[in-house]
Amino acid sequence: MASIILENACVEFPIYNARGRSIRRNLMARVGGSVAADGDVVSVNALKNVNLRLTNGDRLGLLGHNGAGKSTLLRVLSGAYEPSSGSAEIQGAVSSLLDITMGMDPEMSGAENIVLRGAIIGMTIPEARERIPEIAEFAEIGDFLDLPMRTYSSGMNMRLAFAISTAIRPDILLMDELISVGDAAFASKARQRVQELIASAGILVLASHDPKSLLEYCTRGIVMEHGQIAFDGPIEEAIVRHGMEIPEMKKETSAVSGA
Amino acid sequence: MSLKPSPRDWQRAIADARQGLSAWHVWNLLAMTDIRQRYKRSRVGPFWITLSMAAFVGGIGLVYSTLFKQDIRTYLPYLAVNYVVWTLIQGIIMDATGVFSSSGVYLRQEAMPKTLFAMRLIMRNLIMFAHNIIIIPLVFLLFGIWPDWEMLLAIPGMIMLLVAAYPVVMLIGMISTRFRDTPVIIQNVLQIAFFLTPIMWKVDQLGSAAPFVVGLNPFAIFLRIVAEPMNGRAPSLWTWGVAFLMIALLYAVTGPLFARLRARIVYWL
Repeated sequence: MASIILENACVEFPIYNARGRSIRRNLMARVGGSVAADGDVVSVNALKNVNLRLTNGDRLGLLGHNGAGKSTLLRVLSGAYEPSSGSAEIQGAVSSLLDITMGMDPEMSGAENIVLRGAIIGMTIPEARERIPEIAEFAEIGDFLDLPMRTYSSGMNMRLAFAISTAIRPDILLMDELISVGDAAFASKARQRVQELIASAGILVLASHDPKSLLEYCTRGIVMEHGQIAFDGPIEEAIVRHGMEIPEMKKETSAVSGA
Repeated sequence: MSLKPSPRDWQRAIADARQGLSAWHVWNLLAMTDIRQRYKRSRVGPFWITLSMAAFVGGIGLVYSTLFKQDIRTYLPYLAVNYVVWTLIQGIIMDATGVFSSSGVYLRQEAMPKTLFAMRLIMRNLIMFAHNIIIIPLVFLLFGIWPDWEMLLAIPGMIMLLVAAYPVVMLIGMISTRFRDTPVIIQNVLQIAFFLTPIMWKVDQLGSAAPFVVGLNPFAIFLRIVAEPMNGRAPSLWTWGVAFLMIALLYAVTGPLFARLRARIVYWL
């Protein structure tokens, strides 16, 4: 059972300049009285009072211009950032396909990386070892499996990263744009894998600039503006509200209808 | 900003520590990877750790036994034990300054427990320690030192050292992430501590000043609690007592601070 509840969630980054981060500066401020005491901590409000409730079956599309807070919101939803004020309650196993190469080491072999990355995303080590052949086969890396990843082509790199990241079935799936990897043949295989993941996930949150994929996978849409939710409603209206046109498309039957 | 943690902060901090500990397979693997990565494509591999330790102990042992007019047969084993334990302490403290900043890739993206990275760091240093400690039996064999029962006391000493290391890593890690001068300060403190701690010299050489330099010096306390038994002497009750008190103090300071600041760590990265 997956659920996400954000209540008045704010994310405010303190930007310490070099002086703000030094102990000397801090001591001076204490010793020498309050001369411009907080003059050098600037903060950036990445999210302001976001209220959001998601439950099983929700397919949420995130829209907004660059810098509107989409990525920050995704990171709050993944649990990496806890709101600086307000609260975020996240229940269920989260898989964020934001940076699929996270934690992979170029000096280690493909097989070692499968175990390492697998353990980080929640597999046990025996389980990760057992799945090496299957993951390697999906990634089509063949004999390179036991060579260090620095010898891989960038395509192989991405294919392996993708194969590992999508090897588990999360309750909550977070994506920043649909992942597209590899050549045409692999791309269609990857697309199918993503669709399966989406279908089995309780909650999907997809940040995208592409109205076509938003319409295909999402039912509800949020438009972010300056760190706030400016619109929350059906995805079609969100797309229009964001100033994009709804593309002509045949309703694909592969589109997902909730888990 | 109040430094007092709320009940909810406590709850989350405890959950963090629990999850961090129970994900032992993850920090174990990460620690192994760290070591393997450092010595990848090297022929001798991680045994470079052992070799450089042997070279240091051999060199310094020869010079200082002459300098201090000590018998090399007792001085060199003494130095070897002390330096091996000191390397562990120093390594943990030095690495602690980067425990979170070097894990930014993970912390910024996934809800991984922060304490997991402290465990990874301690584990990594333990693996290095395991490589270093190989030279001790070799040195003992070379100088004909027979192990005695006191040596077993090094085990509880080691446990105390590790129990203390955990809050130290968290505390230094948090402060260093927030205040970026801290790593340099700590580096300097460690350099001075190396000379103020009985690693190369013996406590009785200090005469009446010994209790002041050694008795309350935290580095000396945790060094001696492990190294003294290995040198064939049981640590004094004072050493044990102060070690216990320091551990209590460390947890009393780090606990609430971690509970309060845990969620902020990612914002400072």
